[in-house]
Amino acid sequence: MAEESCGEGNRTNTFVVSSRKRTIQKAVNRAGELLLLALASFVAVVVLFIFYFVARDAVPFFELRSFSEFFTTSEWYPADEPGKFGALSIIYGSLMVTLGSAMIAVPMGIAAAICLSDILPFSIRQYAKPVIEMLAAIPSVAFGFFALVVFAPLLQDKGGALLMWAWWILAAPFTVLFVIVLSDLLTTRIKDPARRKQLNLLSVLLFGLLSAGLLYRVGTLLHAIEILTGTNALNVSIILSFMALPTIVSVSEDALQAVGRDIREGSYALGATRAETIVKTILPAASSGILAAVILGIMRSLGETMVVWMASGNSAHIPEPWFNYLEAIRTLTATIAGDMGEADQVTGSARYHVLFAMGLLLLVISFICNLVSERIVVRQRRILSGQ
Amino acid sequence: MNLGTRKLLDRSFTSVGIGSIVIMALALMVVLVPIVTNGLGAVFFTGTVEHRKMLLSEFNRGDSRELETAIASSDRYRAKVYEMLSGFESEMAAMTPERQDEYRPKYGQVKTAVQALLGPLPGDPEPMLTRFKYGQTRWEKAEEKLHDLLYETKWDNSDPNAMSKEYFANRSESFAGTSLVKLFPYVRENMSNMLLPEFTVYWGFITDSSVDSHIFGGIWPEIQGTFFLAVGAMLFAFPLGVIAAVYFTEYAKSGFFNSMLRSANSTLAGVPSIVFGMFGLAFFINTLKVSESKSVIAGSLTLAIMILPTIIRAAEEAILAVPKTYREASLSLGSTKWNTIATVILPAALPGILTGGVISLGRAAGETAPIIFTAAVSVGSAIGLADVFSSPTPALSWNIYNLASEHEAAAQIRHVQYGMVLALVSIVLLLNLSAIVLRARISKKLKG
Amino acid sequence: MLMTDDVTVTSPDVPAQKSTREIYLPPARKKITGGGTPHIVAKEFSIYYGEFEAVKKVSADILSKYVTAIIGPSGCGKSTFLRSINRMNDLIPNSHTTGSIFFDGADIYGRYTDEVLLRKKVGMVFQKPNPFPKSIFDNIAYGPRLHGVNDKKTLADIVERSLKKAALWSEVCDRLDKNALGLSGGQQQRLCVARTLAVEPEVLLLDEPTSALDPKATAKIEDLIQELRGSYTIMIVTHNMQQASRVSDYTMFFYEGMLVEHASTAQLFTNPRDSMTEDYITGRFS
Repeated sequence: MAEESCGEGNRTNTFVVSSRKRTIQKAVNRAGELLLLALASFVAVVVLFIFYFVARDAVPFFELRSFSEFFTTSEWYPADEPGKFGALSIIYGSLMVTLGSAMIAVPMGIAAAICLSDILPFSIRQYAKPVIEMLAAIPSVAFGFFALVVFAPLLQDKGGALLMWAWWILAAPFTVLFVIVLSDLLTTRIKDPARRKQLNLLSVLLFGLLSAGLLYRVGTLLHAIEILTGTNALNVSIILSFMALPTIVSVSEDALQAVGRDIREGSYALGATRAETIVKTILPAASSGILAAVILGIMRSLGETMVVWMASGNSAHIPEPWFNYLEAIRTLTATIAGDMGEADQVTGSARYHVLFAMGLLLLVISFICNLVSERIVVRQRRILSGQ
Repeated sequence: MNLGTRKLLDRSFTSVGIGSIVIMALALMVVLVPIVTNGLGAVFFTGTVEHRKMLLSEFNRGDSRELETAIASSDRYRAKVYEMLSGFESEMAAMTPERQDEYRPKYGQVKTAVQALLGPLPGDPEPMLTRFKYGQTRWEKAEEKLHDLLYETKWDNSDPNAMSKEYFANRSESFAGTSLVKLFPYVRENMSNMLLPEFTVYWGFITDSSVDSHIFGGIWPEIQGTFFLAVGAMLFAFPLGVIAAVYFTEYAKSGFFNSMLRSANSTLAGVPSIVFGMFGLAFFINTLKVSESKSVIAGSLTLAIMILPTIIRAAEEAILAVPKTYREASLSLGSTKWNTIATVILPAALPGILTGGVISLGRAAGETAPIIFTAAVSVGSAIGLADVFSSPTPALSWNIYNLASEHEAAAQIRHVQYGMVLALVSIVLLLNLSAIVLRARISKKLKG
Repeated sequence: MLMTDDVTVTSPDVPAQKSTREIYLPPARKKITGGGTPHIVAKEFSIYYGEFEAVKKVSADILSKYVTAIIGPSGCGKSTFLRSINRMNDLIPNSHTTGSIFFDGADIYGRYTDEVLLRKKVGMVFQKPNPFPKSIFDNIAYGPRLHGVNDKKTLADIVERSLKKAALWSEVCDRLDKNALGLSGGQQQRLCVARTLAVEPEVLLLDEPTSALDPKATAKIEDLIQELRGSYTIMIVTHNMQQASRVSDYTMFFYEGMLVEHASTAQLFTNPRDSMTEDYITGRFS
């Protein structure tokens, strides 16, 4: 190797350094890397600390009281002497609003994600994305304020009418579709086209009338409902669903995008319509990613504090009947937020520790959900790469 | 299934998808429109002479001479009201004791309503609370109070099976035959002469501190508190997050330990915000004792932990988006790995990292649950920069909750609440918007 | 209009001095009965992506039951032309077409043409094998199910028949319920062919079907094309000229979106009319 020496003639190869220098260099690099590692591990340390410090203050509750009181009784009178700490109704309230919001957010979120990934042209998608980002960015307390000040009075005054309109708008198109598809399926075996057409028409008329009657009946029933308080589980579920939507939409959209374009083309080339392609190939292929999205969305609803604290009514009881979303409920997060102010004056009391027990419960649930969704995403990636 | 049905299903499928996006957009509108319109009402409104009085004596703002003439002219009309009231008082004194007992509570209500409308009556003792020192400062509130003066709210319980219904009874009827009857039409007709409404732009809503727990004044302490908390959180989380991201992208090899770190990161991202608050209380305040009790620093640290995963993820993505060729080019020119990261990769990834940072800043500003136990107080004045280590602060997010749910006059100060929500939402959305713009710029730049 | 009897030429006279053209080695081929009528007819057909004209005023007759190869340098519009025959380009935003392509006498881009029914008749196999992440059986049964076949026995018959036609039956008959992604690349591609055959198309479009495969798998696909020749109208896009000469009866040469030459494979590879074609097949540019 011909080197042009620039004064340092004693070395032939400028890139060969003394072994000592090399060792020092390596050690410095190694030390720097370790420092980086230490700083990066901070995240893990924080997670451990969170578990430790929440658990540390939660365990005394179970020593003072018992698991069975916490999980199986629903009498919540923490201020009494002696206090009663049955959290069942509160846990139930949390589950109720989480489930309620999931029932709204999951179908809507998946539909919107499909729309973004497969249906809308790019020019419109550009505008739809910021809408979702803004929905995600609005602080939860603003949603809570809206739920309390705008939505709750509306629900209380015009609840029946609102329910009826929502029913009509949602149920009517689906019923029409259902009737048409049902009639088609019923007559699909008839060979003679003219006869099939006749029977099809007859069946559409018959089922159409039947279901229109049903729609109307349910509509009037809903209209007659009087909502006693606007701060109830329904209100919170609706608002929470809009907070969970952005998560569901963006994670499911990623999962749908991960299903390649070639698979879509394969299905179209066989003569599938867009809906068939999506339902029969893309959704099954992306199902686990979508499941992960749903889990993440549910976690958002479960962990949300401000909306439920402001607009759920904060009444610790299991509604009558158990599925009555029009009653006020109370959730874990709202209880922690609301009671800590009174309880932390007396650190060490069961009243203080019970809140940490609730926090620990939330933490454990969210930890499990996270692990599961992570597993699922990894599995989907493996399946799609064909292993 | 025949083809027509298949096509129909296809089309309905499309419309369900589009429908759900439209519903999301509508929901955004439905939430934002009342917040924006009512929130602007905190700054732009029809103010009365009482508002000007309040501004002059509480904030020493406004033209005192002009105000004096306004007060003089309004007092001329008010004097008659006071005359009528004292006239009725003397009339009542001449009545039989039974009739006196009948009229006294009713008259008391009238007097309270007039006080609420016009401020303390002449000869009243100086009120203790500032809120009673002035009449209605906003015209729309004055109209509500006028209604209270003219009508008595009663409840109809005649039907035992239905909920009792609200109805309004004319007050003048209950004073029929007395001199007070004239008061009601007089007040109704001379409202604007007594209160002198005019269109007001009250920028002080943003820059003033509050008077008598937000009955009057502005929201500066909250804005400042939010600023301190969010910026404080960024000071901790941003450098740490970027360093962690550099480690994850440039150094971490796929091993058990590193996958644990990644899991820890996503676990942290999934922890409910209220649990961060509990952790902040249990760790920063009760264990580390960074401060005696709630303080800005404890709140900032708690928020920092909360936004850390977001920053790490955004920074990771930004670093991974830097083309490999940059790295290779730099290394091939004889640069060390450190040097490459510091001079080539980080600068190239900076816009992306900043985007993540800006979004996290918005999140930190908007969160409530983590600061409930660690930093927020309901009422307080703006704190100095030196106090961040020891004293708590009011903050927009917390005070929105507090004013809307716990304030004793929550329904009276809706405009303040809306104003606060608008302030918070605009801060957060502006930050997000700038992030969106920043990102669009980056992608344009990367595309060339 | 091309003459059908060109195809039966098995030993073209190659001018001795042009040795570079000796890539044409016609294989022994079976006789085709009942084909040779214009099946797909393009008339002044153009396709635009936004402003860009990807295929420029192409007119051609594709004869039924024969194999037509499309060759040309990359980016010449050959794939685009192929994909426009079953309207796969509809999926690309911002694209539009002028002129027309007739299939069985009806305009593919006509107002009343249903692209779903069209794609049932004009099947397509893509560059990269793209089996659905489902079982082998479900992959093949996907198309028939879409078009209303739900009977288990019929489906099983269709699956077996299609796999046999695609020469894959013997390799997968014992693991029809296994995920199709577990097959090798060549098997996956033959599965895609079988999947297409299961909907009983009349035309088979192959878009560089062997570009992602190794030589052994490529040979199997080429054998398969020979098997299917005579039963289906086949169009194959390829960048491999040997492949075109091996499998096709006719060849179309595209350059920059234009159809430069369309002739029987024998003629195009031995005696091209256009100098550009000659430059391309002799490897002066690619």
